[in-house]
Amino acid sequence: MNKQITANAAPKKRKKKIASLDKRKARAGWWFIMPFLATFVIVYLPIIIDSIKFSVSKLTMLAGGGYITEYVGFENYRQALFVDENFGQIVVAGVKQLIFDIPAIVIFSLFMAVLLNQKMLGRALFRAIFFIPVIIGTGIVEYIDKSNTMLSYMTDSSSSIDNGSGGVSANESLAMAANLDWLFGNMRVGGELMDYVVDIIANVYDIISRSGVQMLIFLAGLQSISPAIYESCQIDGAAAWETFWKITFPMISPMILVNAIYTVIDSFTRSSNSVMMYIDGIYQEVGGPVLSSAMSWIYFVIVLVLIGVVAGLISGYVFYQRRD
Amino acid sequence: MNTQASAPKVMKETKNKIRVDFERTDFWTRFRLKYLSLKFLTTVVWVIFRFVLLVGISYVILSPLISKIFCSFMGKEDFVDVTVKYIAKYPTLDTYKALIVEAKYFTAVFNTACLSLFCALVQTFICCVVAYGFAKFKFKFNNLLFFLVIFTMVVPHETLQLSMFMKFRYFDILGLFKLLGGGVFENFAVTNFTSINLLNTYWPLAILSLGGLGFKNGLYIYMLRQFFRGVPDELEESAYLDGSGVFRTFIQIILPLSVPMLITVFLFSFSWQWTDMFYIDLFFTKSSITMMPDIVMIPRSLNTSYAGQSMFEAAITNTSSLLIIAPLVIMYLFCQRYLIGGIERSGIVG
Repeated sequence: MNKQITANAAPKKRKKKIASLDKRKARAGWWFIMPFLATFVIVYLPIIIDSIKFSVSKLTMLAGGGYITEYVGFENYRQALFVDENFGQIVVAGVKQLIFDIPAIVIFSLFMAVLLNQKMLGRALFRAIFFIPVIIGTGIVEYIDKSNTMLSYMTDSSSSIDNGSGGVSANESLAMAANLDWLFGNMRVGGELMDYVVDIIANVYDIISRSGVQMLIFLAGLQSISPAIYESCQIDGAAAWETFWKITFPMISPMILVNAIYTVIDSFTRSSNSVMMYIDGIYQEVGGPVLSSAMSWIYFVIVLVLIGVVAGLISGYVFYQRRD
Repeated sequence: MNTQASAPKVMKETKNKIRVDFERTDFWTRFRLKYLSLKFLTTVVWVIFRFVLLVGISYVILSPLISKIFCSFMGKEDFVDVTVKYIAKYPTLDTYKALIVEAKYFTAVFNTACLSLFCALVQTFICCVVAYGFAKFKFKFNNLLFFLVIFTMVVPHETLQLSMFMKFRYFDILGLFKLLGGGVFENFAVTNFTSINLLNTYWPLAILSLGGLGFKNGLYIYMLRQFFRGVPDELEESAYLDGSGVFRTFIQIILPLSVPMLITVFLFSFSWQWTDMFYIDLFFTKSSITMMPDIVMIPRSLNTSYAGQSMFEAAITNTSSLLIIAPLVIMYLFCQRYLIGGIERSGIVG
């Protein structure tokens, strides 16, 4: 439309000089993303290429400064996968833990977002408390908490004298107090499910502190659902339970996909992750840096595969409302 | 009104006022219908359940913080005392004093604040610009290039640890310095100059921030892109019709519009940069510039060799983490409504 007007209105001589609006906008778009693109090409891409290069070579630091690399093929990868006895185990355990954590985090954050979206007394206060972990529960604070024997003592009433071993965590004792084993044993639902639920309850603080951003994303999604839909649903006589499953859940399903993927990325790349800590430990060792980059490339590929699987599984069930 | 079965009885009538007595259903019936129904019961149960649940989870979130605060005031005798749980018998401020003096807390706060503020401001602006470019302009490879943004988010830090260290230790732009082979004066002698050591300076983080490649910047770009997608195109088109250029439209129309969202991103980037350990450990060697991770230490003036040593040391570390987050908590108290309000308005849609 605009293109035509420009073409017709401009005199024929200048027709070549004036670029169409679309073209000009496209050029402006390039300018807008230029900071990212330029730095990516100049700084980030060499870093990535270097990292791949390091992972297939042997690194020697020179005394006078500088370093030389020596190509050794897939030696580092072989060492990471077959020589190092811990790496494989830790990765498998980490991935297994994550597969259990994704549903827990996504369901918990969805539930909490629905709760915090309702009008009630003290909503602002609860919201403020719930997002504290987003702000302060990362990086160094998380690292300190991870290696902490203090908290387990403080909230655990049974042990009072420092025995040096750290003891059971407070939340674990919570799960014990509720006697979940007995409860589930009587319900006759398989041991695996029981272990799963007990595990979630034991790690409840971990789950809560990791689902802050997800909660925010769900809240944003809930806000964007038109109230008119709820109103018409109410007039038709739907109960809250039906409204949730027939309206809220489909409308929020794109966010479930986003959150599941975000959870995978976040859990894999946060520094308190057991695999990350292990790779970090390897990095400090002699000759470790190259080995650690090989390991983390293996890890990266696993992350990518897992993201693909999660996205593939969930996107089949996602409902997209046709806008306009 | 007039067609009601029992017509209202007029009690008193003046020129302006009329007082009418309706025949109300009696109190007991009203009470029964309103409060003794199943619906009211479920509502009450639900409200109580919700309240208890929220308070419980709030407790789980806050309890580590609270116990840390209580522990930070304890003297070393309290850690072997069985009867002490929260309230210290020998309350002392020594832990704080020692940490603030010996670990140079205020220097660390100042340095980290400078760095975080700079990074957060730059990252917010750059991410905003880049996200606007991705959201509103159609150009070739738009989606492909956006995939690069996602890529920077997915790559674990540790993958790039070594090469990032090397990159900034021997900084060089596309081999340009090496090519020029320029000289530099050092101790009154020209040494062969091929690269710059950028470690122990703010430059590595500044460069990464300027390119929108800093800590979790992929997430910010993603969030802002979703936000800009929700801004109606008509707004910009009308600005274009009035003769405003693309960049002017961005600065005068779009930026003021997206302030709540920008505050959200700023809060995220500030606080995550504040508590960040990975980049600080990587780019700053110990004892060069005092940063936040450096204050996690056991001060020498506190004699920890006592019966409850490991407890006491844990308490000291916890106190240092309290000191780290104290400025953040104060900031959060003032800004939390922007954080939540901003993200709610973003309308992130997959």
